[in-house]
Amino acid sequence: MNPEPLLQLDRVIHEKGRLAIMSMLAASPELSFIELRETLQMTDGNLTTHIRTLQEAGYVSVAKSYRNNRRLTTVSMTPAGGTAFTDYLALLEQIVREAKPR
Amino acid sequence: MEQHVATEHLQVIRTLMERSALYRRTLAPIMLCVGAVGSAAALGGAALGIEAVRWFCAWWLGAAVAAIAGAFVIARRQAMKDGEPFWSPPALRVTQALVPPLVAGLLFSLALVAFAPAGLRWPFVLGNAMFYGCAVHAAGFFMPRGMKLFAWLVIAGAGVLLFVRPGLLPGMGARLDHALMGALFGVAHLAYGVYLYVTDPRKTAA
Repeated sequence: MNPEPLLQLDRVIHEKGRLAIMSMLAASPELSFIELRETLQMTDGNLTTHIRTLQEAGYVSVAKSYRNNRRLTTVSMTPAGGTAFTDYLALLEQIVREAKPR
Repeated sequence: MEQHVATEHLQVIRTLMERSALYRRTLAPIMLCVGAVGSAAALGGAALGIEAVRWFCAWWLGAAVAAIAGAFVIARRQAMKDGEPFWSPPALRVTQALVPPLVAGLLFSLALVAFAPAGLRWPFVLGNAMFYGCAVHAAGFFMPRGMKLFAWLVIAGAGVLLFVRPGLLPGMGARLDHALMGALFGVAHLAYGVYLYVTDPRKTAA
């Protein structure tokens, strides 16, 4: 067993803002940029930066389209992102389990 | 320390996943629209003296169609304003939860139209209130802010009336049944809509 399990956590997901984005995308097939921004109360720039980091890691995909003459940006989790998020959760649960008194 | 951080993260993840699955369109205008249609239908039905169960059912089914159409227009306008798709995953979940009890209520109403004696309106009133309450409760799993409690209040109100209605003010006839429909589908929705407006977190967060 690793003496410092926190160090094993995926650093891309572990950051607070990116963890929030991944958590929301884990429960919904896709979310619009506006939905993410309003729910997480992030600035456009902050959200864009986090999404770009997740995108570079291959965890999310971004689609741009037009709906009712308005530009619509939607974000969804990739299969690799889903696996990384599941592994991240499993490690967190392991940390909690191991710390519980027996 | 590690355990504390991990527990905190798991809690944040759970909260955000739940929030992500919720239908977040503003419910207040939809509730006010449904309440206004319900109240107007009750007043109109009583004023026009609609008594025969067939016409009573047709009148209120028409009101239901008007209320659903109004809610659809409001939700669509909000979606367009926000530049979001109308059929978002939460909207689909809410619709899928609403449809089975509403269809059951419709079939129940059609059976009453076909087979009930001319003056037997109260089973329509209370049966539909209960089916509607079940529909709202099912949809409440994907909606925030007391929707399930509201559904239980509608079901409980209809349940109480189920036992007392047959002996209640027999002289009022159809007007009483229109008043009950107006109370359950009109006034209750107006009150809930006002509550939602007053407690809107977007207002209080500003």
